[in-house]
Amino acid sequence: MKTKPEDRIAYEKMLPGVLTAQGFLGNDIRPLAEIIMEDEQEFIRLGLDFEEVADRLDALKQAGEKGLGEPITVGELLVQTGDARGMLPCPWGDGLYHKNAISIQPADKPQEACVEGEDMLIFSDLSIHLLRVHHFCQGLGSPFRLDPVFLKHLIY
Amino acid sequence: MTQILIGPLAVAIISTVLAFLIAIIDKVLNNYGQVKISINGGKKVLEVKGGSPLLGTLAAEGIFVPSACGGRGSCGACKCKVTTDVGPHLPTELPYMSPAEIQKNIRLSCQIKVRKDLEIELPEEFFSVKKFQTKVESIKNLTYDIKEVLLALQDGQTVEFEAGQYVQLVVPPYGEITESVQRAYSMSSRPLDKTHIELLIRLVPGGIATTWVHKFLKEGDRVEVVGPFGEFHIHDTPATMVCVAGGSGMAPFKSMLYHMYETGAFQEKEIWYFFGARTTKDMFYLDELAELAARWPRFHFVPALSEPKPEENWKGDVGLITDVLDRYVQSTIDKSKGLEGYLCGSPGMINACINVMKKNGMTEDKIYFDKFA
Repeated sequence: MKTKPEDRIAYEKMLPGVLTAQGFLGNDIRPLAEIIMEDEQEFIRLGLDFEEVADRLDALKQAGEKGLGEPITVGELLVQTGDARGMLPCPWGDGLYHKNAISIQPADKPQEACVEGEDMLIFSDLSIHLLRVHHFCQGLGSPFRLDPVFLKHLIY
Repeated sequence: MTQILIGPLAVAIISTVLAFLIAIIDKVLNNYGQVKISINGGKKVLEVKGGSPLLGTLAAEGIFVPSACGGRGSCGACKCKVTTDVGPHLPTELPYMSPAEIQKNIRLSCQIKVRKDLEIELPEEFFSVKKFQTKVESIKNLTYDIKEVLLALQDGQTVEFEAGQYVQLVVPPYGEITESVQRAYSMSSRPLDKTHIELLIRLVPGGIATTWVHKFLKEGDRVEVVGPFGEFHIHDTPATMVCVAGGSGMAPFKSMLYHMYETGAFQEKEIWYFFGARTTKDMFYLDELAELAARWPRFHFVPALSEPKPEENWKGDVGLITDVLDRYVQSTIDKSKGLEGYLCGSPGMINACINVMKKNGMTEDKIYFDKFA
């Protein structure tokens, strides 16, 4: 699979220490196009739609903001929103997003028992954009990865 | 066989020559020699080696401008006024600048390279900011996701600060994090204790600094801290303080309250402190602050839970902290001496509290906060 020039530039920016200390790729060594293609296939297999999932995450964020930084129950989920100073550009260069982190987890499970990536999903305004526009769920092992199977399990 | 080798060999030789040429050109073109940085009209003049970003150049000279992103231009914290013409604002700076700031030549010091003599302006308090070497004296779990970290200053160093100010914790590389980062945390310690810095740190899922504190940091570890920073402090007026916080937003208020109680400072002030959490598991210092309120008649502590469980038998106020605040400001708090708002929390919480306070007749110039986001 040939890498498009814009994807090559985006990939460089996704490495640790460029836009963020952790980067966007986790420990995933696959080429960017392959990460995206495999997640697209997984979305189709699971009957998920990128636009609809992005809308749903956005709605959860907005509902979570009513907790004013404290966790708040939204349906069957517990949502907590947190903000950091500054903004992050999209690696593809098509937007600038407020630095934040929204965590969602099952409301019936004690917070202290929830493990990131197992019971808890973390995303940001930038993650929603990456999902909606670029179909990029982030690399395996990235703290902000939106794993399709886990997404479906948690928010549907 | 020879023909197969010629191609790669030629590419390797050309690449080596090009790399060599680039290195030489870089050395010639980017050699700016010694450069002078004049600060605040010549009050301080630094002679430095040119070529590096202003933020790092100042830090190397012991002048620490706050920064939370390690110089990537993504936090917008390291603003300073550059009166020398250093060219137009960069695209990386513009998202953080208001039109007035652009007009005043405010720049992000991490994005400006020191290539010639510069004149800059910095707040005077930055000159008293220091880097402290500390040792972790104790780490206590206040809740399942908030830790109280007590740092003992080393090498006879002492810290001077006002209750309400913050420091930047220097997080070293750890695990898969390959570079050092800094994050800002309000001090919860008393200003009278000049040999310790106490911080309350809440675990942020995916957060680099908070993950380090919660999962890697141990008692006895050495930690670097830079500070103090910030303009959040108690204002010397007779007006009643209306303080609101949630979670680790408790930190500056713990410092302010105990400072006022122990020193008897700001004697005319009545203090109301609203602290919000979701359930009793998220609440901390409850007994300690209730005892303080019992001993100190001008202090009123109002803890509130937004989602208490029936089995918790919570007897205190219930609701979002903004709703509780609204009720008390409307019906309980004496407004005869005027009201001042003091806020610490997420931007959403701060904005919501400002709205409630303004709705109740408080003016925005009397509402104080340090927005960390």
